[in-house]
Amino acid sequence: MRSKAARLIVHLVLLAGGGVMAFPFYWMLATSFKSPQEALQAEPVWVPERMKPMNWLKAARLGDSSLFGGLGPGRSVALFFPGPEAKPPKALVPRSPGAFFDPVADGTRVEVARGEGGWWVRLTNTGEAGFRRVPLVVLWPKEVPLEPPLPPDARRSQGEYWRLEWVNAVPGALGYVFHNYLEAWDAAPWGRYFFVSFFTASVQVVVGLFLAALAAFALARIPFPGKEAVFVLVLATMMVPGEVLLIPNYVLLARLGWLDTFYALIVPWLASVFGIFLLRQFYLSLPQDLFDAARIDGAGYLTQLFRIALPLSVPGLVSYGIFTFLGAYNALLWPLIVTQSPEMRTVQLGLLAFVSEAGSDYGALMAASAFVIAPVVLGYFVAQRQFIQGIARTGLK
Amino acid sequence: MRTYPLHWALGVGVFLALGLYAQRLGFLPAWGAWSLWAGYLFFALWGLRWGGWRAVPLALGLLAPLFPPLAFLGPLGAALSLGRALPEKAQAAFYGWALVWPALALLLVWQVFPTFYAFYLSLFDRVNFLRPAAFAGLQNYRILLEDPLFWRALGNTFWYVVFTVPTGLLLATFVAILLNTQVAFLGLYRTLFFLPYITALTAAAAVWRWIYHPEFGFLNWLLHTPGLDWLNTPTGVFALLLRPLGVELQGFLAGPSLAFVAVMAMSVWHFLGYQVVILLAGLQAIPKEYYEAAELDGASFFQKHRLITWPLLSPTTFFLFTLGLIGAFQVFTQVYVLTPTGGVLQDTLTLTFYLYNKGFRDSDFSYASAIAMVTFLVILVLTLVQRRLLEKRVNYEI
Repeated sequence: MRSKAARLIVHLVLLAGGGVMAFPFYWMLATSFKSPQEALQAEPVWVPERMKPMNWLKAARLGDSSLFGGLGPGRSVALFFPGPEAKPPKALVPRSPGAFFDPVADGTRVEVARGEGGWWVRLTNTGEAGFRRVPLVVLWPKEVPLEPPLPPDARRSQGEYWRLEWVNAVPGALGYVFHNYLEAWDAAPWGRYFFVSFFTASVQVVVGLFLAALAAFALARIPFPGKEAVFVLVLATMMVPGEVLLIPNYVLLARLGWLDTFYALIVPWLASVFGIFLLRQFYLSLPQDLFDAARIDGAGYLTQLFRIALPLSVPGLVSYGIFTFLGAYNALLWPLIVTQSPEMRTVQLGLLAFVSEAGSDYGALMAASAFVIAPVVLGYFVAQRQFIQGIARTGLK
Repeated sequence: MRTYPLHWALGVGVFLALGLYAQRLGFLPAWGAWSLWAGYLFFALWGLRWGGWRAVPLALGLLAPLFPPLAFLGPLGAALSLGRALPEKAQAAFYGWALVWPALALLLVWQVFPTFYAFYLSLFDRVNFLRPAAFAGLQNYRILLEDPLFWRALGNTFWYVVFTVPTGLLLATFVAILLNTQVAFLGLYRTLFFLPYITALTAAAAVWRWIYHPEFGFLNWLLHTPGLDWLNTPTGVFALLLRPLGVELQGFLAGPSLAFVAVMAMSVWHFLGYQVVILLAGLQAIPKEYYEAAELDGASFFQKHRLITWPLLSPTTFFLFTLGLIGAFQVFTQVYVLTPTGGVLQDTLTLTFYLYNKGFRDSDFSYASAIAMVTFLVILVLTLVQRRLLEKRVNYEI
């Protein structure tokens, strides 16, 4: 491994492998910025329009606020299309299909006017309320070259014309780039889902850590009769695979009347054999002299636990905490079984429901996937070392 | 009487509390709860005689039928008020048990009891909440052994082990060895390989479903196979590969369906990072001197890794192998997201998926429990066999 050539090869191989591993993430992000027409292309679009900085600048000019867009009452926005005078384009605000009353389409006045060297499409809000989104369709004659003020989200052929469609003609920069994210977020009560997930995972981590620390300390440092029996029982529990517990625990929860509550999500997994083992290992590695000295100074077992063992075992607690949090946040099967109502859905269940709801709107689906994994990925980048060590520790025998 | 076993009072108290809850839920007859109460009464009286007024909190536990946790809190209170009056040994015994009991009680209720309860449930005919169940003995197991879907699920689990465990281990070992060569940008590469493992399987499977899309999926564009419906192709891969040669394979020999291979590829991608991190930790524990000595003797790259790395890494490899084996029996999420119905002709059925279908779609808890028990048995046997056969060849000393 000394020579430069060998090093280069190692880097190339690792880069290729890393590229394959990272590709699904890139594809998720890229798709989450695509318009439906870009997503559904036989030839993949590598860099969608919404990822290009030039278009962010264009979008920032459209709408009341340069970041969030929108069209307030009485306000108007003008889009400029360079083109000759002979062929005027047509413009309209499409009605949402099947809607009896469409406030946006009815409350927006569309004018097409001749300007210097091109056409102005002016949208004016004549209603009383502000609009966050104003969809727009422009019919552009096919023989005239097109230079739109913002790349259209879809472009279809309609007789003599190109039918150019914008999902939002007043997006602002962020509204334009994150259109799919906003759509996905508004489509389901994600705030509630995130609350359920975070609450479940945090309580599991905090209470689970506390219980495991107590038991592990007793098993590592206190000589009490029956210790071996407890240890063997805990070991034996580890042999039981998780799926054996699904049915009986469900029945138990049903009898308790706990189905579809936080209890069902949290309580069955509070005591963790894995946590007990990990922390016991940690406590055993602390020097016995420490505890002897404390004992001579008159410290009881509880003082030893809370004043010496716990503060010294923070790395072990962190790695177990990360592991438990990941398991709880990413779990699908257990929440799927024990919850029914949308109020008790975790983010994973919400995403599962969204997979079937979103249909072919892959942009929104990938946006939802992206924000579901975002907390964990951000957490990883903040506490990279703890993550890696925490996971690596699970492999120690 | 020199000493008083307060930890026994505590133990009986815990069982009294659990027994009272069990009685409320109909798992324990009333006389069972009352005999536990009588047992606690005995220890409470003994304690009062031994410790006098300072043991009075013990009596609190006698009110447990009103509020079960009192049976645990009573002895705790007694320990606090008795304090140093207890001899050293009794203190150790008490605090040991007092610290262990909360976790142990939860384990008993949510892991030990359910294991037996699952077996009990499996002996009935269609347990559900709709009607009383009839005792059926081992009938569920008899049906299970002739159930083609169960064998399909077991076969898929077998293929999952055969395909993903060696592939994952080989790739991960290779990557870990490369990462262990003091390569620059180690953190970047490790992140690239590790990220899939911490992403939720639900989200990852949603992305892969999009990559596998028959018309607009990326994979079909990459492989120039337009229209190939990865996730809805029930034909076995061996059959697909050998068909051009004129060989027609049927049944188990046809191999896992193309859809299941797609699921397995996604799973390898997901778990690779975990294996890399564990193997890298194992590699870093191997002393550098071994390699230096080998280099002095003129060993080549492959000789070094075959003769030093492989044997010294074997405990880690063995651990990952065991984990992969057990994990194969628990595959659910990726299958459920990629092929929600279990695939065409149930070709992507796995054991946990089948258990879920039987228990929570068809509401047949007893049959689902039978599946769970058989799975448990298979895992147990496999683990024992694997220990016998493989662990002899594992080198635990460095």
